[in-house]
Amino acid sequence: MGRFVVCKVSELPPGGRRIVRVNGREIGVFNVKGRYYALSNLCPHQSAPLCLGELTGLTVSNEPGEIEWTREGEILRCPWHGWEFDIISGRTVFQSRNRVKTYDVRVEKESLGRLREGVETYPVTVEDEVVILEY
Amino acid sequence: MAEAATDGAAPETPVTLIDCDVHPYLKRADELREYLREPWRSRTIPSRRQIYLPPGDGRRLDALPEDGSPAGSDPKLVEKQVLQGIGADYVVLIPSSSISIIPDPVFAAEVAQAWNDWQIDTWLGKYNPHGRFKSSIVIAPQNPERAVQEIERLAGHPHLVQVLVGSSASAAYGKRQYHPIWEAAARHNLPAALHVESPVGPTPPSPLGYPTYFLEFHTLYPTIYMTHLVSLIAEGVFEKYPDFKFVFVEGGSAWLAPIMWRMDKDWRGARAEVPWLKRPPSGYLRDHIRFSTQPIEEPANPRHLLQIFEMMHAERVLMFASDYPHWDFDDPKRAFPPMPAALQRRIFCENARELYNLPATRPVDVLDSKPLSVKAKTVGSTW
Repeated sequence: MGRFVVCKVSELPPGGRRIVRVNGREIGVFNVKGRYYALSNLCPHQSAPLCLGELTGLTVSNEPGEIEWTREGEILRCPWHGWEFDIISGRTVFQSRNRVKTYDVRVEKESLGRLREGVETYPVTVEDEVVILEY
Repeated sequence: MAEAATDGAAPETPVTLIDCDVHPYLKRADELREYLREPWRSRTIPSRRQIYLPPGDGRRLDALPEDGSPAGSDPKLVEKQVLQGIGADYVVLIPSSSISIIPDPVFAAEVAQAWNDWQIDTWLGKYNPHGRFKSSIVIAPQNPERAVQEIERLAGHPHLVQVLVGSSASAAYGKRQYHPIWEAAARHNLPAALHVESPVGPTPPSPLGYPTYFLEFHTLYPTIYMTHLVSLIAEGVFEKYPDFKFVFVEGGSAWLAPIMWRMDKDWRGARAEVPWLKRPPSGYLRDHIRFSTQPIEEPANPRHLLQIFEMMHAERVLMFASDYPHWDFDDPKRAFPPMPAALQRRIFCENARELYNLPATRPVDVLDSKPLSVKAKTVGSTW
């Protein structure tokens, strides 16, 4: 498992996203209301750049004609065909075998020296908190 | 791959992919106005009425130009995402004119003419140094006389390769009022292509009026295509104009074989009322009808699609289309199940090449060697 410093926490505010390239793969890192999520930027359907899609909510219903809005900001919708993915699990919200790879994201106080041990480094000062992607 | 020329001629590269449905958009709505004469120029041009809700507001979100202009309006981005991106050697443009929604047949004909003069200046002119953009003659089928005049005016243009009509029409296209249009097209060796248009038009988008949801509209509009297809065959259009070909664009194709089986069966008993049909209805398919692939059906078992292809004679009938820049874009590398190489070549290239008389090789141009730096608009707050 590798670690990749995405950016300073202050550079990824709630509602923000970044797409980073790690070992040749593009990964989108999202801040949804203070929680961080990361998914592959490759839609499993037709390889669209999934992480360019709209962050939206989930409509649910108990009976035809009734509609409720839930999980705002936790659904990522593909910018091409509109498929909805659960940003937490990477699964489509409808039943399918398609799943986009997800990654763990953590926020840590990091020192520059330690980061240099990894493959990727990012210039931070000792007191900065940084967003770290585990891949 | 580029091949070195040995005789001093410009190097050529084999044509392997033709995209039969790419939409060129106006940069701004009033761009068309410059091509209209008064009193039409000062009028509001009726435009597409979007009453349903397609994903992404109808376009690929990564196809929006950086300057905020509409998706499909920047030729550099189209070159990057279609000519370079999916490797299309040629694209056939289909202007989204929504002509069919204009009730006034004279105004409709004037607007059709403006679309054509606009595209000749832009996409087929200054945007087209490589000649890889081909397009469609926009006509107003609600004004057959003017439609014929427009075909006569533009036939012979090197980049206009077909005549375009919308799916929404006041009558099925096999009816006699449209025959002069098909006669003119056939005489100039131009196929006619039908493309879905605004759901608001002279007739509702389904046989039972306006569906409630976009999902229904988008699933069902091929029923209009079926109606036009059966009409064109039954009314003997292909007997009357033996060289005429008709292309159904963006209606899918998996329904084609079953509707033809049904029509063949019915014809065996009902032939007496249509004695001009010299063959079973499906007999006209391979010689006269073409379908574009997009939006390709995606059965759970991809092999089923190959079986469907066999049933519909896809090796003669089917032509690749991406529908760029729309939301339901199909990528040729990802949208299809693995196909035998010969079938793939027919669908990706040869059927369209034969239909539109495109060459087997094309000159190598700057797009073959240099990635374009043009970027799409990005989304998100921290890019």
